Amino acid sequence: MRNEVIFHSEALEKEGNTLVQMGFRCDACGKTSYPVYELCPFCSSGEGSKTPLSNTGTLFSYSVTRVPVGPFKPPIIAGYIDLPEGTRVFGQIRADVKAVKTGMSLKVETGTIWTEKDGTEVIGYYYTPCGKEKGGAE
Amino acid sequence: MRDVYTLGTGQTIFGKHDNKTVNELGAAAAMAAVRDAEILPKELQTAYCGNIYGPANVVQSTLIRLGIGKIPMYTVENACASGSSAVHLLHRDIAYGVCDIGIALGVESLSAYNKKFGKGLIGIEGDMQAKLSLTMPSFFAMLCNRLMEERGATLEDICYPSIKNHKNGVTNPFSQYKKEVTFQQIMDSPMIADPITLLQCCPQSDGAAAVILCSKEYYKKFNQKTQRPAVKVAASVISVGSAEDSSCDPLAQETNIRSAIKACEIAGVEAGKDIDVVEMHDAFSGEELSAYEMLGLCPKGEGVAFARAGAAAMGGRCPVNPSGGLLSMGHPLGASGVRVVADIARQLWGEAGTNQVEGAKVGMAQMLGGVLSGVDSPVVAGIQILTK
Ligand SMILES: [Zn+2]
Repeated sequence: MRNEVIFHSEALEKEGNTLVQMGFRCDACGKTSYPVYELCPFCSSGEGSKTPLSNTGTLFSYSVTRVPVGPFKPPIIAGYIDLPEGTRVFGQIRADVKAVKTGMSLKVETGTIWTEKDGTEVIGYYYTPCGKEKGGAE
Repeated sequence: MRDVYTLGTGQTIFGKHDNKTVNELGAAAAMAAVRDAEILPKELQTAYCGNIYGPANVVQSTLIRLGIGKIPMYTVENACASGSSAVHLLHRDIAYGVCDIGIALGVESLSAYNKKFGKGLIGIEGDMQAKLSLTMPSFFAMLCNRLMEERGATLEDICYPSIKNHKNGVTNPFSQYKKEVTFQQIMDSPMIADPITLLQCCPQSDGAAAVILCSKEYYKKFNQKTQRPAVKVAASVISVGSAEDSSCDPLAQETNIRSAIKACEIAGVEAGKDIDVVEMHDAFSGEELSAYEMLGLCPKGEGVAFARAGAAAMGGRCPVNPSGGLLSMGHPLGASGVRVVADIARQLWGEAGTNQVEGAKVGMAQMLGGVLSGVDSPVVAGIQILTK
């Protein structure tokens, strides 16, 4: 049996058979934070509910790292994705470097992001293009 | 609040000192500062030390080498603003009458860190974004991309602070690098994160810096260097970011902007008019270019024009990093926040040698710490304004 772990304890939650990025929507200030903390990091309220983040967002800015970082081999494309609820999420982008543009639409996917030496698969999230340029919906 | 004066400064050469321990580096800077102040080490009533990677008790085990003990001492960690925080706390103690004289020290050995953890880009331990590959270069690469998209910066503009600061570093005896670089050399150096190449990044460094501050009463009674103009730390501000920073534009970092405004208000100066010299956190060339407007040296959106007009160069309206900055001086993390204050003090004393900004009366020392993103690793800004 494959051994799997989630890369960061609060980052992903199982919902049925799928993994979702679970955020916290604050009733007091209306903001959605990610991952879930003790209280709303914007206003310290504890009133609100866990809510899955939107699946798609817009690329605010990105970088292409040309040297290895931890388990990741270059080129590493990563950036900040702005979600409709106003939350900005950092993540890697799996796409052709040339196709990545500020403002493009991206959708989240989950899967193995690296494999440990002992074969343990580390599960995380990443983004892939989903805009018009890919035939998807804007 | 009482006025706070700079009495002495000291530092080691920044660079690779892998044959020296952190305590030896710190003690060398403290010795230099005590000598510069012309006081006995036992005069010191308190000590703060900026340091990130240890060892533990660094301030005590450093200062005992000079026979300094039995006084309150604290090691302060606030990322790249650790040294700024050490200066800030010492300033506060003197301003509020807790003591009359003390030392702010900053020390770091990246050689020792690398021996323990191996070389490579440093991510913040346990940080969710760091686990997904966010590093300082990847963050600042996004900042550079924003500069090009939003401010019309060219690659030449992005590289300009590195060219300028390497040139300044050539004549600084404490600088890690003493060579000029051209735009072509910068762009031909290895690519780290587009468009940031190796020569747009500050080096890894070992070193220490120290500043001795005192009250007016102490300054009047004990200052031996009567030829020196009296230089005050007129404002000291430490600000920490909040969750809001996670969605801010890297070109308009709220914490940086707010700290600069607050420090100028306290010091009673207008950044764009009164500040004659700045020493700041230029860990990346593009970071300095983006900071001109955030620190108020020019109006919003005009940083590129400010640079192109030569305003930040030696002989310009407000030279930035005449020392060579982190890019050429080097960046022993915990030491840099103290070093920038020491450099501004020397500028206002008129003792900066070849790197002197003529007639400097007001100077700003700035540091920025943290990865500037997400709520896991918020930003810390430290700003001191010195006046004479
Ligand atoms: Zn809230």
